[in-house]
Amino acid sequence: MDKKIKSNVFFSLKFLIPILILIGLLLSGISAGIITFEKPLEKITGKITAELKIDFNDGKNFSQSITIENSTVLSLLLEAEKFEDIAIDANYYEQYQSYLVDSITYMGKTYKSGDQGHWWIFKVNNEFAIESADKIYVSDNDLIEWKFEGF
Amino acid sequence: MKNILEHRNRIMIATILIIIGSVIRILLHNNLPSAPSVYITLNGLTQPMFMLDLFFVVALISLISGLILGGYYTFIVPISIMVITDIILGNNWILLFTWSGFAILGLIGYILKTKNSFTMTRIPRIFGAGIAGILIYDIWTNFGTWLGGWYTHTWEGLILCYTKALPFMFWHLLSTTIAMAIIIVPLVYLKENKLTISQFNVKPLENKVTIIAPAIIMVLALISILV
Repeated sequence: MDKKIKSNVFFSLKFLIPILILIGLLLSGISAGIITFEKPLEKITGKITAELKIDFNDGKNFSQSITIENSTVLSLLLEAEKFEDIAIDANYYEQYQSYLVDSITYMGKTYKSGDQGHWWIFKVNNEFAIESADKIYVSDNDLIEWKFEGF
Repeated sequence: MKNILEHRNRIMIATILIIIGSVIRILLHNNLPSAPSVYITLNGLTQPMFMLDLFFVVALISLISGLILGGYYTFIVPISIMVITDIILGNNWILLFTWSGFAILGLIGYILKTKNSFTMTRIPRIFGAGIAGILIYDIWTNFGTWLGGWYTHTWEGLILCYTKALPFMFWHLLSTTIAMAIIIVPLVYLKENKLTISQFNVKPLENKVTIIAPAIIMVLALISILV
């Protein structure tokens, strides 16, 4: 084989081989059901009881054991409005395809995300979550902790 | 005189890169399209396959800074973009990890430059190094996330951290590889045809500082978490 053709083939293979491996992995993932094109079904958890704690980072705290059916972390938080003088402002953000908590008003004071570098974050069973609160389902005996954290 | 002009050119190109990166990151950070409906299930966790962000913009500019400008600009350009945009958009304790991650990408571009890899025949090497850089960035920054306390400090916590980071990593790999094909390949072609700027000289001290800088920021990132 001509030396130039040989080097051109070798050069092309450096691209073709990784691309073929990627296509192979993708097809294997699809056939194994690891990669899907439909949104996973919502998790059905049934009636659960979880502990909800809210730390306003100024000495004020809210704590309540809540029993609810098929609840996400967000809907558990919204449920708190039934127990005390607390109001949750959560809005849908198209770019994140998620609901985010913009503010929580407690005992007449509004704690708004972004104010003085403080943001509403949450932990599920002592672990921070990467997904948004409306995407995580609460299981029985879970501990959900919200905090107005300063960064 | 030649050196002065050369230095001025480097500053001008660096400034343009910083402006482009900052403007794109600020303008687009809230206007990204929705994630495609592709889901992946790994380690018992189903999540979108791609989580869209603007990593590729800064990653590409970091690589270009190292490849074209080299020297101090290898880390000054990406870190300037991050400082400017982080001031406006906000960041948290993870910032030194992301900054050092981009400095590593810049360094990878610079190493490619020093090995004379900015040629058409070595395009596969540029892509390979770029992909390796993205993997190093994601491994490093997510290690910072784990270390910072977002997950329990156990082996399971670390596995969960990296599993949850996969959609970001897949997007980083896809978007940056496409961006490299669109931007770096034409730049290499232009350079080979002598239509772009000439090689900039990097002095030995500048060379040493360029190599050490990302390591120093990485150490600072670790100190910021551990102290």
